[in-house]
Amino acid sequence: MHLQDEATVMGFEVPKSPDSSYNNVYPGNEDEARDPPMVPSHLQHTLLNYPASIETSGTLPLPQNVILNHLYIENRESPRSVVALGFTHRFRSKYVTVVLYKPVQRRGNTSI
Amino acid sequence: MFGSVADTGYEGSGISGPILIPKRFVWPYGGRRVFLSGSFTRWSEHIPMSPMEGCPAVFQVICSLMPGYHQYKFNVDGEWRHDEQQPFVSGNYGVVNTIYLAREPDITPAMLSTETPGRSHMEVDNDVFRHMEASPRMLVPDLEVSRHRISVFLSSNTAYDLLPESGKVVALDINLPVKQAFHVLFEQGVSMAPLWDFCRSQFVGVLSAMDFILILKELGNHGSNLTQEQLETHTIAAWKEGKLQRCRTLESNGGSYPWRFVHAGPHECLKDVALKVLQNKVSTVPIIHSSTEDGSFPQLLHLASLSGMLKCICRHFKHSLSSLPILQLPIGSIPLGTWVPQVGEPNGQPLAMLRPNASLGAALSMFIQAEVSSIPIVDDNDSLLDVYSRSDITALAKDKAYARISLDEISIHQALLLGQDANSPFGLHNGHRCHMCLRSDSLQKVMERLANPGVRRLVVVEAGSKRVEGIISLSDVFRFLLG
Repeated sequence: MHLQDEATVMGFEVPKSPDSSYNNVYPGNEDEARDPPMVPSHLQHTLLNYPASIETSGTLPLPQNVILNHLYIENRESPRSVVALGFTHRFRSKYVTVVLYKPVQRRGNTSI
Repeated sequence: MFGSVADTGYEGSGISGPILIPKRFVWPYGGRRVFLSGSFTRWSEHIPMSPMEGCPAVFQVICSLMPGYHQYKFNVDGEWRHDEQQPFVSGNYGVVNTIYLAREPDITPAMLSTETPGRSHMEVDNDVFRHMEASPRMLVPDLEVSRHRISVFLSSNTAYDLLPESGKVVALDINLPVKQAFHVLFEQGVSMAPLWDFCRSQFVGVLSAMDFILILKELGNHGSNLTQEQLETHTIAAWKEGKLQRCRTLESNGGSYPWRFVHAGPHECLKDVALKVLQNKVSTVPIIHSSTEDGSFPQLLHLASLSGMLKCICRHFKHSLSSLPILQLPIGSIPLGTWVPQVGEPNGQPLAMLRPNASLGAALSMFIQAEVSSIPIVDDNDSLLDVYSRSDITALAKDKAYARISLDEISIHQALLLGQDANSPFGLHNGHRCHMCLRSDSLQKVMERLANPGVRRLVVVEAGSKRVEGIISLSDVFRFLLG
């Protein structure tokens, strides 16, 4: 009769799990009380914060693929007349980061 | 053709029929017994090398090799060594030297023809070699072979190859006020940017340093409609429209004005892109991709320039420079560039130069009328002090200097100082402004230096005195290479 729970061979018994592995604390509710972040934190790894300089001459480090195809807007103080929009995308096997400078419409004007 | 090859006993493959190319191997670093071994001896035979007469530290041998790629290494007094001055790679046998032999044997030096049948290939006539290498005249077959090879390379590579692995490109909305636009160009350290029209959802043109120069000229023109206050609200679109109107009222020169939007796709070959640059007299061509037939949803990918293409050429031919024989000629003996009359061959254009106390207005007029992109600044002896280029004009955006100056009262020297303020992280000035070369520098050296980003031209100076002899620009080199 071979109806056993586990196959055992003399000298090769499977050791029992240590008791401490069953003593984990149950997750509390304080983690669930916090709101999730507004924006996934990996998006801060955008390439748009690299300073422009002639030595890099338009080349940047390779982007992480999690930041691709997300549109960013420049964070400047409020009374501004120009705003920069930027995003990084892949074209075939290379990456292109495009930055577009747009005029900011003043309040009261109809914007297109 | 090379019937006496059999004398050497060191044929590459041992197969008769295909043409073998004699190649001289040199080990100039001394030793007592030096042997050559390589892929052409299947790495098993060691060919003894003999010292040159009068130079016992220099060993040489001539082997006849099949055209193509070979590896080799030297055994010097029992130790395996490679020549660090020649191209080398790390391979199965450690670090080995490499050589690539072009297929056409008719460009090898003429002295190795069958006109010297009695001479064994092991003996080298040093005088003839020295004579061949000293002649700086440009041979027409060399020129044609080099041009053909470069043309083939440019035709078989596309604009996509110019893109860096991860690149950045700046574009401007066409409704941006001109003043803001130049601040952006200055802060981003670029000299031109494509223009995006939101209404049409298309890129419609570019804004470049030349536009800023024309605007400054307009401002200085008392009869003009453009005032300082209007500059705050005058959009790029209005400026371009005004320029077009003025162009239409003036005589047009056959429609070759660079105000048509010159751009290219990523799958266009490099040769077509280079021709677009030369024919439209622009410096940069935006590379734009659209996945639809009608060109909608365009993607701006890169700003292609001749320097990027030159870098591709230099990289490709780095290990086979013998296939472009004209590269070794000194730049002074090649008909390219603009020269002062006493030194080089005139190309119909006088070499425009200015003194540092000349007014900025005079420099701008020269940019517009003489259609040059940079002007050497020289002292009273015509020695080079600095260079003022069209792209330097964006430095006037710093601290809104353009609003405070009068073009005819500020000297070029002062204008250059404006751009060279310490602590300025922006702008195109970082200490490497004047790129100089000598008349005796080879075309290869000139091309490698022009391939650096940010270097658009080299000023040829006399050694020691730094007197200006000529200017060689990227477009000069490409016009010459493309014929």
